[in-house]
Amino acid sequence: MKKTFINLSLILIGFLVYFIQSNFFSWFTIAGVKPNLFVIYILFIGLFSNKSMGIIYGAIYGIILDLLFRQKIGANLIGLIIIGVVATIFNKNFSKDSRMTIIFMVFGSTIIFEVISYIVNYILYSSNLEILNFVKILIIETIYNVIVTIIVYPLIKKFGYYIENEYKGNKILTKYF
Amino acid sequence: MYKNKKNGILGISITIAILILIVIFSNREANTSFFENVANKLVMPIQNGLTYLKNKVSGNSTFFSDINNLKIENQELKEKNSELEQSLRELENIKTENETLKEYLGLTEKYGEYKTMPAYVIDKDISNYSKTIVINVGKNDGIKENMIVIADEGLVGHIISVTDNTAKVRTIIDTASSISCLMSTSKDSIVCKGTLDSNSELKAMYISTDSNIIQGDSIDTSGLGGIYPKGIHVGIIKKIVSAKNITDRYAIVETAVNFNKLNTVLVIRDN
Repeated sequence: MKKTFINLSLILIGFLVYFIQSNFFSWFTIAGVKPNLFVIYILFIGLFSNKSMGIIYGAIYGIILDLLFRQKIGANLIGLIIIGVVATIFNKNFSKDSRMTIIFMVFGSTIIFEVISYIVNYILYSSNLEILNFVKILIIETIYNVIVTIIVYPLIKKFGYYIENEYKGNKILTKYF
Repeated sequence: MYKNKKNGILGISITIAILILIVIFSNREANTSFFENVANKLVMPIQNGLTYLKNKVSGNSTFFSDINNLKIENQELKEKNSELEQSLRELENIKTENETLKEYLGLTEKYGEYKTMPAYVIDKDISNYSKTIVINVGKNDGIKENMIVIADEGLVGHIISVTDNTAKVRTIIDTASSISCLMSTSKDSIVCKGTLDSNSELKAMYISTDSNIIQGDSIDTSGLGGIYPKGIHVGIIKKIVSAKNITDRYAIVETAVNFNKLNTVLVIRDN
């Protein structure tokens, strides 16, 4: 029962993230560069829930984003699935208590996601390769993502531990003692 | 990271404040009037009061004798003012209506030789690296893939896929887009590609070595390549960048369409 509630609210949060991203952050930009909230969203699901959920959510929202904006399915799908995998790896190896580790996780996964989706884009559409401009945008975007994470971190933590308790129960403790 | 709650909230609010400042300052050109407004609002009430006092003091001698006349005049003026305000409001309504109607008329008149269908831009890609837009017409309106999308000022892009009620448009500023163009004076063909860098610039490449490019020259589509018909305005040459090797030189083309403020477009149906 609780798990269905969690999943429903996660899906709702996903759509909320989409609307915030496409309406608010399309004009609230740093030098014209938007943050990517979906990376934070998928990373957070992968970090706090069980193994497969990050990957499943990554796949669902990746497909939705690709269907909405792209000609071919690929870039967002592959990128977000890999973020799901990366999040489970992070979850195994790092503690989530400190704000600093979360910030570094967001930092890393934003770079991973954008590089992968850029490469997939390049392969799919044979677009022009502009590495310098890409790096410039990537740096601003990563910083913007980190700032957003700092702001929403308390919410993420609270809801995250609620989910983790539900999915892993007492098993969490074994990690720390 | 923060030991108690107070510090945490403080940290978050400082971050939000810094974020807002960064956003405002990084997009500054658009926001100068905002700062002007704030400055005005801070200063103007006091300034008005001071001016009022100054005028009162300087016109001291006639102040008491004219007071009755002024009262009557004031009453009349007030009535007149309310009348004028009402008519102004009516005019304002008519003006906006007129403008929108004119816009529609102008759009269809300019490209009269094509059968067109107006559409609204309803969504833009959320990613920084892709510049596709979504418009509110689709299969049900007779829209098909590879149809051309234009705006009042010039070329916007072409349709890459359609659903029942929406269609995705790859804009010419998307990095996956490249269009074959003609320079209007020299009639030399070039290829214009989208860049990541800017929302209003294209990179014109493959300029033949013996052609002379002129700054400010108009760029139109050439009709080669199969998708775009001939003679649709794309933009003007803004800058010519020369390289060591003359075959490597390229030009920056400023698009005629402002993609940041793109709201209404026209889809050209089969002509």
